[in-house]
Amino acid sequence: MNDLRSFIPPYILHRIVAHGSERQRSSAMSTLAHVRTLWHPPGPPVRTASAAILPAPGKPGQAQRSVHDAQGKMLLPGMPVRLEGQAASGDPAVDEAYDALGASYDFFWKVLGRDSIDNKGFALIGSVHYGQDYENAFWNGSQMVFGDGDGEIFERFTRSLDVVAHELTHGVVESEAGLVYADQSGALNESLSDVFGVLTKQYLLQQTAEQADWLIGADLLTPRIKGIGLRSMAHPGTAYDDPLLGKDPQPDHMRKFVITQEDNGGVHINSGIPNRAFYLAAKGLGGFAWEKAGLIWYDALCDKRLGRETSFSAFAELTVEHARRRFTAREALAVQHGWSQVGVDSTQEEP
Amino acid sequence: MKTLPTLDDRAVVRLSRQGGFAAIQATTRPREIAFARCSIDQRTRICSLLEGCVPLASPVAGGGDQRFYQIELRYREGDQDDQMVMKVPEDQAPAELVRLWNLGELL
Repeated sequence: MNDLRSFIPPYILHRIVAHGSERQRSSAMSTLAHVRTLWHPPGPPVRTASAAILPAPGKPGQAQRSVHDAQGKMLLPGMPVRLEGQAASGDPAVDEAYDALGASYDFFWKVLGRDSIDNKGFALIGSVHYGQDYENAFWNGSQMVFGDGDGEIFERFTRSLDVVAHELTHGVVESEAGLVYADQSGALNESLSDVFGVLTKQYLLQQTAEQADWLIGADLLTPRIKGIGLRSMAHPGTAYDDPLLGKDPQPDHMRKFVITQEDNGGVHINSGIPNRAFYLAAKGLGGFAWEKAGLIWYDALCDKRLGRETSFSAFAELTVEHARRRFTAREALAVQHGWSQVGVDSTQEEP
Repeated sequence: MKTLPTLDDRAVVRLSRQGGFAAIQATTRPREIAFARCSIDQRTRICSLLEGCVPLASPVAGGGDQRFYQIELRYREGDQDDQMVMKVPEDQAPAELVRLWNLGELL
């Protein structure tokens, strides 16, 4: 094996460490040490969108939003269009982003007591109309970015509130746990964004766990695509089945865990497993999912013992512990049951 | 500075665009280029392009749903098969790499 540095995904390096020759193991371990120096430690985001027009600092409980128009270019943040408190612009993407950032802020503040991404009122910057027919939305470490979609497969990415909240949650996860974006920790990172994204939508709609559709990106696929969304937290693997896109590949159980070199070790694929565990726990607990399951998952996310390369199982143990601590053994049992139904061992001891 | 391995006519380059909120396998549109089917001139230009990608590659590309171009090289090293994977963040990807992935053409 040649010099591995910088080229091999971490999950492959872990496999080499486990199964390779002595020389390969040594090289892989040295590379892993190097890769770890590149991972951002958990911490508040850095404001690098220097050209962004920021609203005046607010007070806790009040979102500070600014929405920019990238005007079809891939340069950020673009032209400022709507700052906090300003009237609707008339551009659906701008106004959807503005409203969705507000709804996401409100969810984190009113339900979880968190003041924005860094819990210190971090201004929320969103850029819309990014690129040409751009089929993506992302968090770049300092702001959120939304494409218009190609109109054939994907609609504009601001249409689904849970997508905007998902991206904002990436900032929260980075601030709290810095979960490494690969393999199980990466899938958990993705799952947490789905969890708080879908809870933001359920909170706005005041839906119980029973009433909610548990879909991620339900408004993203065009009518041409045979699908109901990008992901289903209730039934991973069933969101779409289309001649062009293929079948939703998400597993709903550890026995179907996908080992792949794609997508940073399948972070958007294997997130189906913790997603379903959350859904099952929320259903078991009943009522509004944010009132118990959401708080439990948030407590686990903010637990300083949560490792950056955590496994599903280690995170699951924390959720069971926090369920018992915040509520009672009954809630802990419901959470444990959710994890066990997807094949994740969640406890060293009985709750 | 890392360097590319020697890529002879047994080498295969696989390009795909990975990641993103809507990470769907079909949209990665992988493209495989077998050096055995390329002229010397084409191989030279592809190698030059790949060498330019080396300093741009990052093993932590893709965080927060950011897309990236994955370059997988399969080649022979001595008497054994070997592999190298580079991940180039979308916002840093050279236009020529994007064109090669998208159209299978060199500038």
